[in-house]
Amino acid sequence: MLTLTIDNQTISIPAGKTILEAAEALGIMVPHFCYHKELGAVGSCRMCAVTVHTGPMPGVKMACLIAVEDGMVVTTGDETVATFRERVGEWLMLNHPHDCPVCDEGGECQLQEMTISSGHGIRRYQGGKGTYTNQDLGPFIAQEMNRCIQCYRCARTYKDYCGGRDFGVMGSRNRVFFGRFKDGMLESDFSGNLVDLCPTGVFTDRTFRFKSRAWDLEQADSVCPQCGVGCATIPGGRLRELQRVRSGDNPLVNTTFICDRGRFGSGYANHPERPRQARQEDQVVSVPAALTALETQIRATVKQHGPEAVLLVGSDRASLETNWLLQRTAKHFGCRVPVLNAHRQRHQTAQMAAFDLSERLASLQDIRSSDLVLVCGVDPLAEAPLLALALRQAVRKGGRVVLYDPRPVELPCDADRVAVSPLALQELLADGGVEGRHLRDLLSQAKNPMIVAGADLLGLAGLQNIQKWAEKTSNKERPCLVYPVLAGPNSFGTALLSLPEQDDLLTRLASGKVKMLVCVDADPLLEAPEGERFAAALTRLEQLVVLDYLPTSLSRHANLFIPTCPPVEDSGTFINNEGRLRRFQRVLKPGLSLARTAPGEHPPREFSLDTPGSDPQPAVLLLQRLIGQEQPLTEVHRQLVLEQPRLAALVSLKAGEAGVRVAPAVARPHSLDPLPEQPAQTLELVVTPARYGGDLFSRYAPKLEPRKRPPCFYLHPDELQAHGLKDGDAAVVETDFGSFTLPVRSQPDMALGCVLVENSEAFPQLIPGAGLGYCVISAGGANE
Amino acid sequence: MTTIESQTTSHLLDQHILADFIQHAGEIEHPREMIIDVLRAIQLHHGWVPDDGVELTAAILGLTPVEVEEIATFYDKIFRRPVGRFVIHLCDSVCCWTRGADEIAAHLQKTLNIEFGQTTADGLFTLLPSCCLGCCGIAPAVMIKQQFYGPLTPEKVDELIATLRQEGSA
Ligand code: SF4
Ligand code: SF4
Ligand code: FES
Ligand code: FES
Repeated sequence: MLTLTIDNQTISIPAGKTILEAAEALGIMVPHFCYHKELGAVGSCRMCAVTVHTGPMPGVKMACLIAVEDGMVVTTGDETVATFRERVGEWLMLNHPHDCPVCDEGGECQLQEMTISSGHGIRRYQGGKGTYTNQDLGPFIAQEMNRCIQCYRCARTYKDYCGGRDFGVMGSRNRVFFGRFKDGMLESDFSGNLVDLCPTGVFTDRTFRFKSRAWDLEQADSVCPQCGVGCATIPGGRLRELQRVRSGDNPLVNTTFICDRGRFGSGYANHPERPRQARQEDQVVSVPAALTALETQIRATVKQHGPEAVLLVGSDRASLETNWLLQRTAKHFGCRVPVLNAHRQRHQTAQMAAFDLSERLASLQDIRSSDLVLVCGVDPLAEAPLLALALRQAVRKGGRVVLYDPRPVELPCDADRVAVSPLALQELLADGGVEGRHLRDLLSQAKNPMIVAGADLLGLAGLQNIQKWAEKTSNKERPCLVYPVLAGPNSFGTALLSLPEQDDLLTRLASGKVKMLVCVDADPLLEAPEGERFAAALTRLEQLVVLDYLPTSLSRHANLFIPTCPPVEDSGTFINNEGRLRRFQRVLKPGLSLARTAPGEHPPREFSLDTPGSDPQPAVLLLQRLIGQEQPLTEVHRQLVLEQPRLAALVSLKAGEAGVRVAPAVARPHSLDPLPEQPAQTLELVVTPARYGGDLFSRYAPKLEPRKRPPCFYLHPDELQAHGLKDGDAAVVETDFGSFTLPVRSQPDMALGCVLVENSEAFPQLIPGAGLGYCVISAGGANE
Repeated sequence: MTTIESQTTSHLLDQHILADFIQHAGEIEHPREMIIDVLRAIQLHHGWVPDDGVELTAAILGLTPVEVEEIATFYDKIFRRPVGRFVIHLCDSVCCWTRGADEIAAHLQKTLNIEFGQTTADGLFTLLPSCCLGCCGIAPAVMIKQQFYGPLTPEKVDELIATLRQEGSA
């Protein structure tokens, strides 16, 4: 620890920190632009000047660049540096247009704040200003280059941090331009971070342009629900419309970056088809009436047919509280325990993570500083986008990434990529002979080894082997940690809550005893494999009850439907891939947005006491009412912790905090089943979520349309040739889940012996994570 | 090895040189370091570097076009727009300035009837400012086709222009 004095205050701070960071820790704000805590310092703006009074070279220094020293004496407000900073402010403003009134950054602009804090107020420069021609950077990002102050943060964000290669710095001197070679949509899956990182109004969110002033937005600390990473977000809404999402700050998870899926994928909250009224058969009913009907039906069904007759279903996108209340509800009515995740295999792998791996879980922060990451069966950009950024940071610091996957995995960094089929990957993990030994040696020798394991592709057996590898390659000095990639925002929490021995959904439906199915924030048709079997089982039910906020087909088919709220309209908790409790807070109240009730016109002239479209209620509240126990969330948490002591941190958890890990559990004993034989003449079937449209939320996010791709079967070119197919042909693929016709595409970077297909709204039939699967491909069929 | 269609690139590079570049890029660890060489070769062949020249360079070196454009636009001796037959780089750095470069600049603009950054209507001359040309000993100086001329006076400028005009019309 070094002790120094800044503005007459003393602080002790670890070596290696800068004066700027030390001042910040004391609550002294030194104006700055080019420094950003994740991007580091480059010393280009000269705004952070302070006076250092000690050492061999006292004088004006850049606070962002100078490391603290013991005994250092610094002043930040003396006349010399105050004048210096005022001049810098004046100089940075030379070319800047005076267009704050029409600039979308206004009100949350660092240039406004820093110019004012630097003391520059009156313009003296009378000359002409440099001007630029802007580019069309696509539907997400608007560019207004005249506002640029050349801090280079955009290039450091897009290129250095995120690894994008279609954006750069052109020109020199006072003609520097930040943009693309030519007009066109920015290609990086992290392009939206330009909006958060540019300190002025050059890069703004085009989907949010001219909608609201920052100070008019309702905002709250939330958690992105669109994958299992659980990034901190700050959604903002106004006039009952969720208008934008920007990144929060969670140093352990996403730092200050989020992916474009999470940023531009929030349209589900205001989707025009979002169901907003309770409905019994074809009749619109009030929510209280629907709840009364539900209660009567559950009681009558249990009474008549026994505890098996009513089956409650939760999901990995429903909050911890919702899933727990489902268990409560089942107990209350004397039903058998609910199925918390309709996808059996996903539920099992999530339980692996929640129990067996829980004492060796890596965080994204751990991965960012690892020297060796073995990535098995994960396509980060599709399954956990921020993981891709974490891997890149590891590589930037000199770490190495070794990746085994059948898919043509793209990463924003260098990696040793090996394309292997799922079965070959299982064999490798089961033992793997020389190659397996080599990989385990690499892990053993590394200083800080991590394994990233894709639950969908590896399945239970694969994860069990990963656990063994991690145990074997850990030693007394350091563990080998595992980062499991799970499917949903709350896969971990859902798995942690449910009892291990429960039967899966289809088994219970097949028993024929179930008369009434109640799905809460869940659609097994879209979220679990064997949709056909499920659909057939639905026809045998007497009652289908759905509580959801998405316009899924299941909600349309329900005999009784009650609208719920997405996370932005609710408060609750998710547990992310790394076992971290993440609290989200309500941003908006439900209601039809003014943009829809009065499109471009005067607000409606009909008056009522209720907000239009405000019937939806959080599922937690609905379930509490159903069982007649309305309690505040704090009480729910207290009771939950009594049942689940591993979740003790739940009670004091706050939104906006980094979040605490669940307490580890003891690993359960396992027996490994031998690998199945591949049927002759078949190819392995690989189903992966699409980058955009793979998660249920982004299917109902119109803004993401430009990034979505039409479905097709991908094959290695050799495989295409062997089957007498060529790129673009239509092909029929027969699988255990039915046969499908799609065009084929040649993909040289994928594994041989596989057919790859993306699950999305355009191809929802095959669901990832269903285990090893095989198929037969043949030419034919008309293009769908 | 990169394959590049020759019919779409023949206006940019001699096909033998193109083949050499492709081969060399395949042999070295950081093909990026060849950006300037390729751009200059294109400029020599084509007079300036058009958009497809940037794209060709990127294709040869396995880069994205913007990664080449960053370099191409940084250097004022790589021309991303058409220029005249003789590009006059007039030094505007300190030694030349103390020795009367401003006067030379005014004279050149008047004689050629163009401003800095422009090309004469006959396509013969383009006038560009330059930072120190490294020949401060003959300040004030210009560089034309990699030749230095100086110390200049308005008279010497007139002579020089006349000679070049003659060369240009020959
Ligand atoms: S565009 Fe924004 S982030 Fe980029 S240099 Fe200019 S002001 Fe900085
Ligand atoms: S990485 Fe996942 S959690 Fe983070 S913003 Fe993207 S979709 Fe959301
Ligand atoms: S913040 Fe220190 S020079 Fe820019
Ligand atoms: S200053 Fe003109 S050549 Fe050096």
